[in-house]
Amino acid sequence: MISGYLDGLGMVLQLGTLLAIAGGTLLGIIMGSLPGLTSAMAIALLLPVTFGMPPVAGVGMLLGALCGAGASGSIPAILLNIPGTPSSVATTFDGYPMAKKGEAGRALGLAIVASFFGGVASMIILSLLAPPIAEFALRFGPAEYFSLSIFGLVIIASVAGKSLLKGLIAGLIGFFASTIGTDPITGVGRFTFNELSLLTGINLLPALIGLFAVSQVLKDTLEYDPHERVKESTHRIDIARPRFLETLRHWKAVVTGVLSGSVVGPVPGAGGSIASLVAYDQTRRFSKSPDKFGTGYAPGIISVESANNALLGGALIPTLALGIPGEAATAVLLGGLMIQGITPGPLLFDDQGGMVYGIFLAYLVANFFMLLIMCLGIKLFIRVLTVPRKQLLATILVFCFIGVYGVDGDVFNLYLMLGFGVLGYFLNRYDFGTAPVILGLILGPIAESNLRRGLQSFQGDWTPFFTRPISVTFLVIAIGLLALTLWQNYRAGKQVSASQGSGV
Amino acid sequence: MESGLTSLLSVSIDFETSHLFFPRIIHWIMAVLFVIILATKTIPFLAAVKRGERTLPILGESMDGFRFFGTLALIVAYFYLMAVVGNLFPYTGYGFLFVSMVFVLLMSLMYMHEWTKKGVIIVVINAIVAPSLVWFILAKLFKITLP
Repeated sequence: MISGYLDGLGMVLQLGTLLAIAGGTLLGIIMGSLPGLTSAMAIALLLPVTFGMPPVAGVGMLLGALCGAGASGSIPAILLNIPGTPSSVATTFDGYPMAKKGEAGRALGLAIVASFFGGVASMIILSLLAPPIAEFALRFGPAEYFSLSIFGLVIIASVAGKSLLKGLIAGLIGFFASTIGTDPITGVGRFTFNELSLLTGINLLPALIGLFAVSQVLKDTLEYDPHERVKESTHRIDIARPRFLETLRHWKAVVTGVLSGSVVGPVPGAGGSIASLVAYDQTRRFSKSPDKFGTGYAPGIISVESANNALLGGALIPTLALGIPGEAATAVLLGGLMIQGITPGPLLFDDQGGMVYGIFLAYLVANFFMLLIMCLGIKLFIRVLTVPRKQLLATILVFCFIGVYGVDGDVFNLYLMLGFGVLGYFLNRYDFGTAPVILGLILGPIAESNLRRGLQSFQGDWTPFFTRPISVTFLVIAIGLLALTLWQNYRAGKQVSASQGSGV
Repeated sequence: MESGLTSLLSVSIDFETSHLFFPRIIHWIMAVLFVIILATKTIPFLAAVKRGERTLPILGESMDGFRFFGTLALIVAYFYLMAVVGNLFPYTGYGFLFVSMVFVLLMSLMYMHEWTKKGVIIVVINAIVAPSLVWFILAKLFKITLP
């Protein structure tokens, strides 16, 4: 392991790699601080820039964007009461009241340091947990992989959409899209309609950029309000001083945040808003003065921001060790890894150990850059908030286009991207969610080839899928989760109808 | 497939149609879920539309039709023209550069509600600078093929 870290250190400590990580972090911070532009979008738009880089530099840039966007959502949350990313919703609870009291600089300083602590702690947890999980996963056969992919899809379907049914439909759309192209086992073309570009299947990148970036641009164009004015912050801040000591004094809030982020992070599809809300809730519950929360109380900001960035390290565990992404941004990151020729999964730790440790270290370095850039450049990022969104739409579309075209220079993929953009717009609009589609697209081939390979090696007997211990565990948890979600929906529905009944 | 129990516990896949084995499962599950959602969501929704409580999406909605369809038309034209212009200057990326400038300009103008002198100048500068910068970084520094 130590030799692995030394190998990794050699890859990270190069000028080009460090510059790439810093650049990615800067862009991530800018994207994250603009409300509506998410970290998934930041990574999708950065992908084309990473094509020409060596793997660790390219992945480091994407990790920097992930880390920066995870932290900078707090800037508009604190200054304008608008969360920059979904995961900074809970930052507004205490961040905005503190800024209103005239302590905007203090709130930002706390948020930045808490994000940094959360990120570093989650990197340590990641580097301790991912290798043993990957080693365990080496024992997986076809039955286990099939069950794992079903498990992943059910989890994301139950949390991503507004209802389980809608989430499952979105996931199955992804599964179906993954069957387009040449059959992985017999080599027969399926659903290609004689279109040459579809023979290799649906490329991940047009689907990703279409679902996460183009759909957002379409939403902005369709639901654009001409009377909307850009809110300007009234606070004057030149530099945000990091508040290490004050943050450390509230170490309980940091620990709660890191724990909630690391527990929620690896759960596929759970996403940032859940982790930060859990952290906020737990910190308030264990606090000696719960009534101070919501009035600009420091532990409220600290727990939420440390959970936000701890979540990212947690989400990287299943992404790297099993090849199953924890949430939307890591799903895009997974696509980026594959384009770099890195196939995440247990074999990665065996074959390219140095690369894995390089990725861990790059994530650590990204956290340091995030701290530095956020503290020094806070004035610039506050200015960024005043850029009107409509001016950015066309430029974002140009970036989407290069990302998709740059992979293999095929114009067909552009129309595919547009199609996925329209699909994603409607899926979001009717609460189906787009993350299950991407996960379905990634897990579909794993599920299909392992199901068929399993049936072949068990000579047509399907019972091993339910009798092998690891496989059956995944399936039982998946079915249990389905039942739990259905039961919760049923109870919520009953409560709604009961309250309506009493209201009339 | 001797007795009833063994045939229940195993599946045999015909090689001729084996590539459709998995898609067929997916299609059946999707069909079932589609029927469920039709029954639980769509039919009550259409009934609400009939009673006049809700409106149909897209058709019955008040929206900025000019901008929405304008955007879609511009995007398709952008993709198409880029390949055409790119073929005039092969392997230089000029197709991308010039068509992107026009695209960014038209799109920004479409979303500008009040045409002020200052606004137009910013839009024009942005339309020229942004694609040039992207073109320089990607085509020249990173040597990525652009149309």
